[in-house]
Amino acid sequence: MTGLGNGAELGLWRGLVIGALGLVVFIGGWELAVRTGLVDAFFLPAPSTVLARMLDLASGPDAVLWHDIRMSATRVLTGFLLSALVGVPLGLLMGMSPVVRAALGPIVSIIRPLPALSWIPLSMLWLGIDEQQKYAIVFMGSFASVLVYTTDATLRVDQTLIAAARNLGASRLQVIRFVMLPGALPNILSGLKVVLAIAWTCVISAEMVGANSGLGFRIWTAKEWSDTGQVLVGMLSISITVLLLDILFRGMEQLLLPWQRGGVR
Amino acid sequence: MSVSEDVEPVIAARDLTVTFATRAGTLTALEGLDLEVSPGEVVCIVGASGCGKSTFLNVVAGFLAPTHGEVLLTGQSIRGVEPRCGMIFQSYALFPWMTVLDNVAFGPRLKGASRRLRREQARHWIEVVGLDGFEHAYPGELSGGMQQRVALSRALANDPEVLLCDEPFAALDAMTRQVLQQELLRVVADTGKTVLFITHAIDEALILSDRLVVMSARPGRVKTIYANDLPRPRGMDVQLTDRFLELKRGIWDLVQEEVVGSMTALQRR
Repeated sequence: MTGLGNGAELGLWRGLVIGALGLVVFIGGWELAVRTGLVDAFFLPAPSTVLARMLDLASGPDAVLWHDIRMSATRVLTGFLLSALVGVPLGLLMGMSPVVRAALGPIVSIIRPLPALSWIPLSMLWLGIDEQQKYAIVFMGSFASVLVYTTDATLRVDQTLIAAARNLGASRLQVIRFVMLPGALPNILSGLKVVLAIAWTCVISAEMVGANSGLGFRIWTAKEWSDTGQVLVGMLSISITVLLLDILFRGMEQLLLPWQRGGVR
Repeated sequence: MSVSEDVEPVIAARDLTVTFATRAGTLTALEGLDLEVSPGEVVCIVGASGCGKSTFLNVVAGFLAPTHGEVLLTGQSIRGVEPRCGMIFQSYALFPWMTVLDNVAFGPRLKGASRRLRREQARHWIEVVGLDGFEHAYPGELSGGMQQRVALSRALANDPEVLLCDEPFAALDAMTRQVLQQELLRVVADTGKTVLFITHAIDEALILSDRLVVMSARPGRVKTIYANDLPRPRGMDVQLTDRFLELKRGIWDLVQEEVVGSMTALQRR
């Protein structure tokens, strides 16, 4: 998700400094453009205004921003965990059994191209605008991807490793436990990382269409009031939350895949 | 290590034929291959690529079933994957998520050895290949030569009857390859393991083998068997002796004959 420009080839510190400079120039230029009147503050408020608005929304007795972030994050994580809980085991099964793969393949192919948005009408008719409806949207939007990534990860386990384990006396079950699962894990995790980002787009769409809380709802209501400041606060909050979750996910990955820490013992 | 008629062979291939169904028709990889390997013997098989030597090894390991004929392991026909034939792969095939110790302890673990026992055994075999101190490293942190040492000790820890080596040193640089050849000779001499070793390098086969089998081009069968009379131990200098060069030239002529023969056969098609 944050695949762009971590500047690894420049060395950590130089990369960070150059990245920070880029950010400063971008925000500075924006601020300047608004202050000098080059851009109408009504259409695009200055970064300082957005920040003030953000602090305003995050403090006070209601602190709506925190509430929105909590609501959206809960919906994303619930839907995401549900689809991982169902999708990962099913994907493993598809990867290991040609029969299951052949049986479920066509169904997955039909569901997968459907954008999460297209599930909104049905889910609202079935579930109203409850929390369950949000979970369902996230689930439907991410489930097929989890399935595809997991199946693919399982199929890509090195056949020589399976042969080596069998040669050392592993039964079919032992091959699954000791080779297939750990062998597929890295690709499953990087698949889940992509799906987590997809899950966010699902929840924001769902909240824009029918909700009374969450970041998507906050952005949409702000638009109704032509409150561009609040729209930008909502967007910025999405970025920050997703970035934080990504960092969390990477930490988890490092814990689960100690052999991939690249030469550091 | 000499071949005597009255000893029961560890491995005996009898009239072994393996065919594959391909889109272009039936491909005969091996046809009527006969070969016996005695206990403690090191047999190297050389042959042009595509002559079916890897196919033969896969049948002995039990990964492939013969179309016709059979392979006997200590008198019993091999059916299914055979853990008593420990395989060393060209690509090392170590489990990247396991430390060196866990890789080597994997065979005993599958057999249900207690954690303490299997670690003890693993430590022993890691020491035999000279990797003590690297028990807790992951394979990705080791050089190719070190990884192949781990693979060797992993196979040995499983106490196989036979070591099957499928061009295990082909991916290594020349220096490392020679070091590992000597290492393998030492370990084999110490443990008395029977070895079936596949290579396309005639030098390597001459340094390692008690007997050297030249295979014909596809369909593969035994063309000639040389009793390798080069004196042991075979250090580097043996490669400079007249006998070594004489053997090498003779084998090279045979292999070349097969390569050229199969090429003209292809052209005629």
